[in-house]
Amino acid sequence: MATAAARPAVLLRRVAALRRGAAAACPEHVQLSRSFSSAARQAQSQSQRASATNPDYAIPDPSRPTHFGFETVTEAEKRERVAGVFTNVAESYDHMNDMMSFGWHRVWKDHFVSSLNPGFSPLTSGPDPRAPQHILDIAGGTGDIAFRMLHTAHAVNGNPDVRVTISDINPAMLSVGKQRSRTLPASQQAALSFVEANAEDLTKTKPLGMSLSPTTPTSSPVTNSTTATSGIPDNSVDLYTVAFGIRNFSNIPAALREAYRVLKPGGVFACLEFSKADKYPILNALYKEWSFRAIPLIGQLVAGDRDSYQYLVESIERFPSQEEFRDMIVDAGFVVSGANGGYEDLTGGVAAIHKGMKPRDA
Amino acid sequence: MQKRSDATGVLPLLSQWWSVFAVNGPISVPEFWVVSSAGAPRLLSPRRPLLSRARLCRTANGSGPAHHRSRTYHSYDHPAPAGPFNEAEEAILVAAYRQVPEHGFSPEALAIGAREAGYLDISTNLLADGPFSLIRWHLVKQREALAARKTVLFPDGATSNNKPVSVSAKVEALTWERLLGNVDIVGRWQEALAIMAQPSYVPESLKELATLADEILFLAGDVAVDPTWYTKRASLSAIYVGADLFMTTDQSPGFQHTRMFLRRRLTEATDVGNAAGSVWEWVSFTASAGINMLRSKGMRI
Repeated sequence: MATAAARPAVLLRRVAALRRGAAAACPEHVQLSRSFSSAARQAQSQSQRASATNPDYAIPDPSRPTHFGFETVTEAEKRERVAGVFTNVAESYDHMNDMMSFGWHRVWKDHFVSSLNPGFSPLTSGPDPRAPQHILDIAGGTGDIAFRMLHTAHAVNGNPDVRVTISDINPAMLSVGKQRSRTLPASQQAALSFVEANAEDLTKTKPLGMSLSPTTPTSSPVTNSTTATSGIPDNSVDLYTVAFGIRNFSNIPAALREAYRVLKPGGVFACLEFSKADKYPILNALYKEWSFRAIPLIGQLVAGDRDSYQYLVESIERFPSQEEFRDMIVDAGFVVSGANGGYEDLTGGVAAIHKGMKPRDA
Repeated sequence: MQKRSDATGVLPLLSQWWSVFAVNGPISVPEFWVVSSAGAPRLLSPRRPLLSRARLCRTANGSGPAHHRSRTYHSYDHPAPAGPFNEAEEAILVAAYRQVPEHGFSPEALAIGAREAGYLDISTNLLADGPFSLIRWHLVKQREALAARKTVLFPDGATSNNKPVSVSAKVEALTWERLLGNVDIVGRWQEALAIMAQPSYVPESLKELATLADEILFLAGDVAVDPTWYTKRASLSAIYVGADLFMTTDQSPGFQHTRMFLRRRLTEATDVGNAAGSVWEWVSFTASAGINMLRSKGMRI
């Protein structure tokens, strides 16, 4: 009994030690978070800054150190290893989500989408004031968010003028999404498109194409730059969403600036991501126990892949707190709500929704 | 009419247990002077008396860039916290507020407002609480407007029949002024009250009510820092809510019934306060007289 009780404490100490070690090995990390918070205050008063003045840390650099779970790796290496993780888990991703969160991720996702209310556009007297909406779902691989968006827009709000682009860096995840989308009504399928893109640089996108067939070697058309399409233009997106994806990005500031670029003035950046439940120590302790002990084990038993799920929980641990991430969003030029500090905690902070709007005079 | 108003009047009475608007109540302190470190005397604000210094300092200094911090009391010593709305939110809310008489406190009003302000339909997501943001906007703006109305209502040195306007008369005038702020949207106000009663918005709504009661008493020049600081604010809040509800069903021209309702409630509050004060005076006198009598008999107390 005594050892059982002592274990969580030991584990948490180990986690803390690992975090300290990683922070020491990665001085940029410390420096970055400091510059975010100071810059955030300036950005708040000016409310806007030119995107041309991107700070160094927001420019992707393949050789810069970042973290992969509790390890420190370079940005390029992280990209490869994240790709590996998601290629491994793509098939079992949805079952695993249900098992790891007791199905609760569906509640979060439903709330996320219904709070965004895509396609809501009241009619007024005179000509139809409604404008088409373009939603970009980043890291949307298996389509969980995109399908809900389409349902809310088309079925609930009766606005067929809404289209969704699902973007993911990983073709394996996209092909799972493509497969699942076949069960949607035809009108919704027609409003969907799938592109393969790196969220840190959306100027280069590839439509999900020949790589779908498992017989096609991976080195063919997808990686061939001649088939690359033009990418996502500036000021073209109404709503940019990323759900449970942004923590896997190699360079989050760069991705935020890219989101800022593609959004129309007045467009909304919305992010659903695991966060910190520090405000509720008991819930937090249970949650940490579950994520560090049960989830890798479930991964091993159900998906036969412990390491990928170990990475998932470590990456959650390394993701910044609500306030830090909010400051990163403000730093990228977005305006956040004054009333709730720009984020909304779900389940005591286990997950959080962050929203930001690109100002009109951008 | 009389019957209905009295039925509604039970609500505010429930929370009155102590001297309320008796300005010359038994222990009210009219002014409170201290000597600051610079040596000059300065007036302590009628801030919440039980709040410690440390707490005051912490509350007054905001740390997050955008976080909404509000304070339910006035202070001359600490800067006022920033408002809960940023520039973009204000632009959307100003336009959306114009839609309220037609569309109510609703997502429709917000979306049309956003469109008019040059934003997109989706931009309303900036407002974290949706329609409640619009209600909060109404509450905050109407409360802030009171300060400007005060100078109109009571110009400096203004007297009626060469007598200074009493604090309770000022409270009545200011509360009525605030109720008049609801006239434009009174047809939609029941919807708003329903939204404010949703569990997630109750704390924010109550906080705003407390701030309003504090604002009214502050503008009326009430400077007591004794326990009546709390009871006055509590009873004024209750009376305000009662009158606010009454007004949503008032069909009389110029809302005269609401005005009479408000007067009756405030008079009752003063009466109850006076009665409570008298009872307390009698009890304390009798008790001390009894103790003195026992002492005179040689009892060691």
